[in-house]
Amino acid sequence: MPPREGTYGLLAEFDTPSDLVRAAQQARHDGWRRMDCYTPYPVEEAAEAIGFHRNKVPLLTLIGGLMGVAAMFSLETWVSTLAYPLNIGGRPTYSWPAFIIPAYEWTILFAGLSAAFGMLALNGLPTLYHPLFNAPNFRDGATTDKFFLCLEALDPKFDLVESKKYLEGLQPVSVVEVEY
Amino acid sequence: MAHETHAKTLPADLSAPAFVDGWKTRAFVVGAVFSVLAAGLAALDHSIDHLLRGWLLGLMLTFGFSVGGLALLMVQYLSGGKWGLLLRRPLEAMSRTLPLVFVYWVVIALSLKKLYLWAQIDDAAAALKAGVINEVQAHAIEFKRPMLNSTAFIVVSVICFAIWGIYAWRLNVLGLKRDADSPASTPVWIKRFENISGHGVLVYSITMTAAAIYWVMSLDPTWYSSVYGLLFLVGQAYSVLALSIIVSISLSKAEPFKTILRQTEQHDLGKFTFAFVMLNIYLAFSQFLIIWSGNLPEEIPWYLDRFRGGWGVIITLDFIFHWLIPFSLLLSRDLKRNKKRLIRVCQWMVFAKAFDLFWLIEPNFKDAARNLHFSWGILEYVAVPVAMVAFWVAYFSAQLKTRPLVQSNDPHVAEILEPEHAHA
Repeated sequence: MPPREGTYGLLAEFDTPSDLVRAAQQARHDGWRRMDCYTPYPVEEAAEAIGFHRNKVPLLTLIGGLMGVAAMFSLETWVSTLAYPLNIGGRPTYSWPAFIIPAYEWTILFAGLSAAFGMLALNGLPTLYHPLFNAPNFRDGATTDKFFLCLEALDPKFDLVESKKYLEGLQPVSVVEVEY
Repeated sequence: MAHETHAKTLPADLSAPAFVDGWKTRAFVVGAVFSVLAAGLAALDHSIDHLLRGWLLGLMLTFGFSVGGLALLMVQYLSGGKWGLLLRRPLEAMSRTLPLVFVYWVVIALSLKKLYLWAQIDDAAAALKAGVINEVQAHAIEFKRPMLNSTAFIVVSVICFAIWGIYAWRLNVLGLKRDADSPASTPVWIKRFENISGHGVLVYSITMTAAAIYWVMSLDPTWYSSVYGLLFLVGQAYSVLALSIIVSISLSKAEPFKTILRQTEQHDLGKFTFAFVMLNIYLAFSQFLIIWSGNLPEEIPWYLDRFRGGWGVIITLDFIFHWLIPFSLLLSRDLKRNKKRLIRVCQWMVFAKAFDLFWLIEPNFKDAARNLHFSWGILEYVAVPVAMVAFWVAYFSAQLKTRPLVQSNDPHVAEILEPEHAHA
């Protein structure tokens, strides 16, 4: 794929999460779809405001957990009944109460690993380059105390002049154009 | 544009909404109906044995709401957090129901001989000879006599009630004084509440253990488990959190809870409850695993009494009701944020707690151990606790009405009025 050129989008800066959420809600209401919010910490309402759909991480976690419990429980059952049956205090070889704790630990382990790697696989991290890093105020503020709304050029409604006017109407601190 | 402009304001009238009176009336009606039912069942059964066993279940349940509420009140003073501010007044009201729980307990104290084997047997050697008890029981009753006797039972219980009463009284009195004071004094008040609650939580865990041992564990004088007090302690958190969610969601139909119960805190409470669902099964299962692994004749019969003769069905259902269902449902983030569904799960959890207590209490008795069977009496386990909990709810509703529902002299009040996205 040849490197993209031109405008990536317009970046509006806000001082508070409330202002960002209101602006994002307004933009969504006015028909914008290709946009994103950037905040120093998770702001769930911002995600909801731009119509963030559900992701599959919970499902992956559940599947991971079920795989963990199934794997460990069957391993223990196989070892204790078939591979190496031992008589421990006259108990039956299939003594399920003793299998619960390792099976439980594996549930947690597999679910945790699935959540972490599933998250990385689905969100595209690690990303080495992002056009927004070209904006100096983004570099300085996005991880500390600023809240950003970016309208992307891919949106059919996007027009450099009109969109800039529109964003300024949302009363941000500043609006800058970001290049690829 | 500062986000302060988005903040809501606390309603001028912070008193409990009018429908709380409706709860009281309804609870009275339910209590009356089930009392009549309980009396009828006792007549059909020609004995009040099961009525008293059901009474013990009802005592443990309402005791959990009351003293568990006191404990959670102290915990939230220590931990802070907006969920604590939200629950403060409902928890205070729960702690003020202690007099009713004491009255419930008096009935048990008056009928020790009907419930507790150690109270029935005056002379263990003679009872052994007559074949009323077996050798293990005779030995245990004789050996534990200094601890398990009527005087000790009553003295220890009364001391426990006095201690809980002092803490409940102090926290409730100071809670009102704090609101009357100026906001400038808040740091002093926070320290004051911490200083009471710190040792309060410690003392609570000790007195709770004593109460759980005397009231329930000693039903079987031969058996002991060192985790028993902790099991009841976690069980109280389980049922009190469920009850607190039920109360706060029900109150949120009107002001002031409509304003202050935000989705964030509701979600937090759901997560907190989920943690106790997990801790509850963790302790219950580890007690079982240790005793099962040891397989010692002193300990294992307690479980055999509760597994064999039909009880296997009950423990399986208990596992499903008490853990599997709340655990699976509370996993869901959407459910924890949905008022209607969360309240259903919490109501289920209160039922599940009662079901678990049934499994703990009934097999202690000779006629029921390893022999789950139907008698009219067994239905007392439904009738009596429902009536007792209903009267408790009526008392609680009356207490809820006596104070404003929000403690206003607290820095969290401003935060809870802000929009949900204002803080990380």
